[in-house]
Amino acid sequence: MIKLENIEKYYANKGVKNYVLRHVTTQINKGEFVSIMGPSGAGKSTLLNIMGMLEEPTYGSYFFNEEDVTHLGERKKIELYRNHIGFVFQAYHLIDEMTVYENIEAPLLYKNVSSGERKSRIADLLDRFNIVAKKDLFPNQLSGGQQQLVGIARALAAQPAIILADEPTGNLQSVQAEEIMELFKKLNREDGITIVQVTHSEKNAGYGNRIITIEDGVIKEDLKIG
Amino acid sequence: MFKINLKIALRNLWKNKTYTAINIGGLALGLTAFILLLLFINNEKSYDTWDPQLKQVYQIRERHDFFTPDNKPRWQHITDSRIGNLLKEKIPQFSAVTKIDNGWGNSYSIKIENKEPILVSDIKNADSMFFKVFPYEFLYGDEKTALSKPFTVVVKQSFAKKLFGTDQVLGKQISVLAWRGDEAKPMTITGVVKDTETPETVAFNAMTHTGRREVDPDRPQSTNYCQVYALATQKLDTTNLNKTLLSTYITFKKANFAKREIKFEDFYKNGYNPGLKAVPMTEVHINPTVNSTWLEKIKPLIAISLFLLLISIINFVNLSTAQSVQRAKEVGVKKVLGVYKQQLVRQFLNEAAIQSFVATLIAVVLVEILLPSFNRQFDINLSFWYNNHLGTLLLQLFGLFLLITLLAGFYPAWIISGFNPVKVLKGNYETSFKGIALRNALVILQFVIAVTFIIGIGVIHLQNEYIAHKDLGFDRSKLINIATNYEDNFVERIKHIPGVQYVGTTTQVMGNSFNVPHEIKYNNQEYNLNTVTVSMETLPALGVEVVKGRIFGSQYKQDTVNTAVLNEAAAKLLGNDVVGKFYKSGKDEFQNTFQIVGVIKDYNNESFDKAVLPTVYKVTELGGTSSTNNLLVKFNTSQNKAVIQAIEKEWSKLYPNFPMQYTSLEAAFKKELQSGERIMQIMLLFSVISVALSLLGLFALSAFMAQRRTKEIAIRKILGASDLQLINMLNRSFLILVITANVISWPVAYILTRQWLTGFAYRIDMPIWPFVIATVSSVLVAILTTSMQARKAAVNNPVNALKYE
Repeated sequence: MIKLENIEKYYANKGVKNYVLRHVTTQINKGEFVSIMGPSGAGKSTLLNIMGMLEEPTYGSYFFNEEDVTHLGERKKIELYRNHIGFVFQAYHLIDEMTVYENIEAPLLYKNVSSGERKSRIADLLDRFNIVAKKDLFPNQLSGGQQQLVGIARALAAQPAIILADEPTGNLQSVQAEEIMELFKKLNREDGITIVQVTHSEKNAGYGNRIITIEDGVIKEDLKIG
Repeated sequence: MFKINLKIALRNLWKNKTYTAINIGGLALGLTAFILLLLFINNEKSYDTWDPQLKQVYQIRERHDFFTPDNKPRWQHITDSRIGNLLKEKIPQFSAVTKIDNGWGNSYSIKIENKEPILVSDIKNADSMFFKVFPYEFLYGDEKTALSKPFTVVVKQSFAKKLFGTDQVLGKQISVLAWRGDEAKPMTITGVVKDTETPETVAFNAMTHTGRREVDPDRPQSTNYCQVYALATQKLDTTNLNKTLLSTYITFKKANFAKREIKFEDFYKNGYNPGLKAVPMTEVHINPTVNSTWLEKIKPLIAISLFLLLISIINFVNLSTAQSVQRAKEVGVKKVLGVYKQQLVRQFLNEAAIQSFVATLIAVVLVEILLPSFNRQFDINLSFWYNNHLGTLLLQLFGLFLLITLLAGFYPAWIISGFNPVKVLKGNYETSFKGIALRNALVILQFVIAVTFIIGIGVIHLQNEYIAHKDLGFDRSKLINIATNYEDNFVERIKHIPGVQYVGTTTQVMGNSFNVPHEIKYNNQEYNLNTVTVSMETLPALGVEVVKGRIFGSQYKQDTVNTAVLNEAAAKLLGNDVVGKFYKSGKDEFQNTFQIVGVIKDYNNESFDKAVLPTVYKVTELGGTSSTNNLLVKFNTSQNKAVIQAIEKEWSKLYPNFPMQYTSLEAAFKKELQSGERIMQIMLLFSVISVALSLLGLFALSAFMAQRRTKEIAIRKILGASDLQLINMLNRSFLILVITANVISWPVAYILTRQWLTGFAYRIDMPIWPFVIATVSSVLVAILTTSMQARKAAVNNPVNALKYE
């Protein structure tokens, strides 16, 4: 599903190159649940951003579903966002001015999903995540765990093939974090959704089936588990 | 999608209530001024468009020097009455020609049977052809025969209702008196016409037909001036038409000169050319003959209201872009959810549209509220909802709304939708905080406008003060001017009233000036002077100051024959030492010799944009005129009311059919000052608004800047910076903007105000104080405004700011 070939990323500052990623080559297959680990500043988030096409690599090529997407136009990128990729953020990033329902609805609006279809999908998601009662609340009226649930529901609404999650439990207490991780595991097992998450926690990484460890921009270890 | 965006927009606007209010309020104020201006311009442009046939009607203009403000030849719409017949005979393209008396006075007395006479304006007198040229709609009566007999009158519907309470007035009789001595001869109402939908150049309440207008003077050397309008069979090419008119006119003039034994070449010399032309009726109002055009007059207003609108748009742009930080996350998230940039731009444009729509609505309400006082200020009658062209007006408003939305909304929308999602979602707003330079430039522009306004007010105020307290050269207190000619009988009667000191007449006094050119020969050299005919007591009544020699007195017999008094300007022109000397005027058998007996100080009798003309004063009617319509009465008591009542009593004994009209010279003087004060008031209002808007903008901007630097402030505080030091730091950047703005506006304001001052013959030197005051006050107020924000940020507990991450 994702193929990275010799990805490099550096920031040039006064003639000095600061490498964030060096010679990263890896492949993520459909149905995998990958955790990217490593110390702060290792380049985990940058790698995830490149996978999500939020950043472009300095060198190297990136294939998404066999298609070269290294340098993709704005429109094409947006098409991918609409149909194939779902994002989950550490700080949830719900739109504060929208209710829970509206937040989940937003991606469907951009996809021009019919109103009936929207309603049934959102109802389904609310039901599945057990947040039906909260649908008319605004994000700031929810706990962190609830907000992240909404964030995931939103990411799933467009029925993406892959979810990219940047420390999805970083701001949560451990009980809530466990819930979220269980949810990811379930989505991966039962719905076959590919998941790539960046995490600090060994425990969270344990929910997946593969761990990529990065140090100083280089892949140190690529471990299959479970 | 539109629904959800609308919801977000409303929630956002509600969340930032203060800024929304500032945005919308500012725009509404800017728009209000602009809509008022729009109404005014629409009204001016709609003159003489009430019937399609008016496209074929032409006003005839002749170039001559009779009754011009500077005694020089100009194009005028009052023409030799003989032109009417000339056109009828020689120009086949014209199917009908009408002549209308030029109304010299503006009040007429109307008497219905035995009722008390009342004064009304806009009574005109025309020949029988008037309604054949002007296509008024007759409600009653026959337009073909309405004015065919002498002593008939056609009235407007509204006027009929005012006079009689009904418009069924056909056959009723009224008497119209133009002058107090006129005989009250009844006229029969032969028609009632509908009021027009748009304003008219030839406006009338009643159009009389006395028959006087049908005849031209017999003697070739006397000329009777009137207005001439012609109806063409179709719309004509004016260039060709005017060529024909000019050649016809030259032939006519040559024939006339032949009878008067004047040589054509002698008359038209030194740049004085013969001239006759036709101006299409629809263009007459835009091209007035003597006054400056309405466009010329309201140019400063247009500039001011455009600037005001600009300031409010700048405010909008600045506040929206500054606020965009708050929307950054929304934009970032939406982008990764898959939204096109255009969709975002459209979303934010829609938000701007909501605000400018509300602003437009508020502006319309404000316009409705302000219109009555606006109408009073400018002496016009504008309306919004009852406008005859409401459709066009609404269309214009819609266009304005679109324009404002685009101007105010596009830049912020573009900036906001351009945010980079990675940076934004990481919480890094600093680099996404774009357009600082542009916003600073806009703040500077705002303040340039505001400071220029303040300086402008200062200069205008000083000039107005100067004029209000300027020595006019005559004493305007306890002096009234009755609208009548000098008539011995009446004068003798009122002279006996206790409290009356002097009674005199003059052709020229503030409020009613009538310039008559006068060519004299002095020391074998020719001079062009202005001549004023006075009576014995006029100069003492005016209290003019004698510089040399003496003024007229009844003890000098020859004063009624051939003596003259000059003003200083004339004396200077002739070479100062003139008292006792003689000059000649007139030609051949009409030549007279006058002795100059005195020189008086210049005194103003027109507004201050005109210099006092070199003038010769005479008591005799030789080479002058006696029709003045000014009777000056000077009191030696402050019991004005009682004296005036006594005068009115005498008046009604002599002229029972015509009410007495008078103004005090003080009021005439105030009227001359009025236009200056109007500008001043409007400037004051607009500049207060513009300064307030600029400050609001600065206030909001500084709030956001402080917010943006919250973390920096917290860290500095932990490092030991005092609150005051922090406030200083935050103020500095804004102070630089305001000072830059001042530096720019000084020369701008200097150039503009100097140009305004050159319009006055009597003016102040460019004062420095308005500049200093504008700068000091703008800097002070700006510091105060930004300090409020800076203080709030500075006294915050740093822990709060640093915890957030």
